[in-house]
Amino acid sequence: MVGVYAIKVSNLTKRFGHLVAVDHIGFEVNKGEIFGFLGPNGAGKTTTIRMLTGMSIPTEGTAAIMGFDIQRQSVKAKEQMGIVPDISNVYNELSAWDNLIFTGRLYDVPKIYRESRAEELLKMFGLYDRRGEKVRGFSRGMKRRICITMALMNRSSVLFLDEPTSGLDVQSVLVIRDTIRRLNQQGLAIFLTTHNMEEASQMCDRIAIINHGRIAAIDTPEKLRRTARSVQSVEVAFEAPPEDALKELRKLPSVSEVTKTGDKFRLYTDEPSSVLESTWKYVQSNGLKLVTVNTLSPSLEDVFIRLTGIRPATGNEKQPTQNLDELRRQGSLGGSNR
Amino acid sequence: MKTSQSDSLGRQVRVAWVIAVKDVRTYYTRPASIMFGVLFPFSLFLSFSIGRNIPAAAQIPILLAQTLFFASSSIGPVTIPTERGTRTFDRFLTAPVSLLTVLMGKTLAGLIFGVGISIIPIVVGVIFFASHITNVAALIVCMALSALGFSAMGIMFASMPGQGPGEVMMPLNFVRIPLLFISGVYVPVGELPSWGQALSLLSPLTHTIELARYALGGEAFFGPAANIIILGAYTAAFLFVGIRFHIMTQRKD
Repeated sequence: MVGVYAIKVSNLTKRFGHLVAVDHIGFEVNKGEIFGFLGPNGAGKTTTIRMLTGMSIPTEGTAAIMGFDIQRQSVKAKEQMGIVPDISNVYNELSAWDNLIFTGRLYDVPKIYRESRAEELLKMFGLYDRRGEKVRGFSRGMKRRICITMALMNRSSVLFLDEPTSGLDVQSVLVIRDTIRRLNQQGLAIFLTTHNMEEASQMCDRIAIINHGRIAAIDTPEKLRRTARSVQSVEVAFEAPPEDALKELRKLPSVSEVTKTGDKFRLYTDEPSSVLESTWKYVQSNGLKLVTVNTLSPSLEDVFIRLTGIRPATGNEKQPTQNLDELRRQGSLGGSNR
Repeated sequence: MKTSQSDSLGRQVRVAWVIAVKDVRTYYTRPASIMFGVLFPFSLFLSFSIGRNIPAAAQIPILLAQTLFFASSSIGPVTIPTERGTRTFDRFLTAPVSLLTVLMGKTLAGLIFGVGISIIPIVVGVIFFASHITNVAALIVCMALSALGFSAMGIMFASMPGQGPGEVMMPLNFVRIPLLFISGVYVPVGELPSWGQALSLLSPLTHTIELARYALGGEAFFGPAANIIILGAYTAAFLFVGIRFHIMTQRKD
């Protein structure tokens, strides 16, 4: 298996009637890599995961897990993977222990390993003391942890995690993130979809951004941030800002966009030094007093907004302020579409 | 550490058994399932037999066949749409087993339930109505093959794309109820007109009743060999169509 990718996707496409949910995407995930898969709702993330894991049959294209084609060598491919779907599909009528044992038997894990693995995982996720209770009475975070333990029963090489921490309490989020890191350090490749930019930025070796079924960019979080030079910004706050401050700041040279959050104005630019200079002139000519001035590098969220036109925090859609081709010219956005 | 055993037929059989045991435990042992499995065929049988001048012992094969028919085919159709709703069916789709293995597991659960419940009419017949089991092998084949076939029929309907737990019973009953009228339940096959006999040949329930009659000292109009072959063919066809339905769903999902 030397030289084989953990996941290799070529020309993968899914159509629902006239709707193209996933449009000829291609990428590779290396062994031992945490690969983030980001995109707004309806971008094609879950449809992609469903095709990669054999739940759904692609309209076109291929996907291989550890070198095994998910359609033609499905049993071999599925042996290599563990899956945590976007909802915790545990068996509510079974106990935590029985959920794990059933999963182990479904993967034909021998009894001696099955029981020791179930014990190890329940202890790892802090659920061993409640192993005999039916999962029906568990909290959402506990069910999520059970779902992850079930995905780990077969000691897979690739773990698919679809929004693993979405809507969970802080304790569960920390346990899950810590475990993902530990598993990755043990050599497990992880395919992670998330809405949480901070999570993706902190955890992923590389990130793909998908929008409208197409890969918009693939790179490391740091390179993605550097690629979007035009989303550098200068953040200023005035002691008593004039009413027309937003309008006047938009007129400053080299400023592409201005947003106001609380008492702070954020001026987007690809030339922060020039904007600092012109802001200072604006302050002086209007007799204003500056409270704070910061220059900010683009965050992953900024890159996401530029590529998708969607602000993840609010879900408000707006037109992308820069098209993908423009971003590709500026940097080296990866990924392929047809 | 290599945790998976060999990718063999044995593995697929083991996993099918695991699915069957899980389903029996989760769905079939519920009091409502057991009550339905026992009461519905008995009620149907009594509504047809009371007031008719037929010896009670002669009616036991019909009661046995109806019990096998309804008990084996009624619970399975609820399981797959329910599991699709809770997304637990995705666990089977992502497990390293074939669709045939998954459906065989679900069918085996129906078989276990159907055979278990259908022991009741045999006991009733033998103890209270002096029925005689004249061919034990034929009875075992009748019960096992019929329960397998009817369970596979229920699973096939459950596999239809886009069906909810409630929706699946309508098309299933649309098929099951008419089968009662063409399968020699109310009129023995030998007394039907030739077109009726041809029609009854097509019904899997005919062959269960025939085998049950044969096992309990009666005669099989089409012969036990034909009964076994046709029930076996129906079982294979139901499983094949069930798999095709799942593939259709996977293409649409």
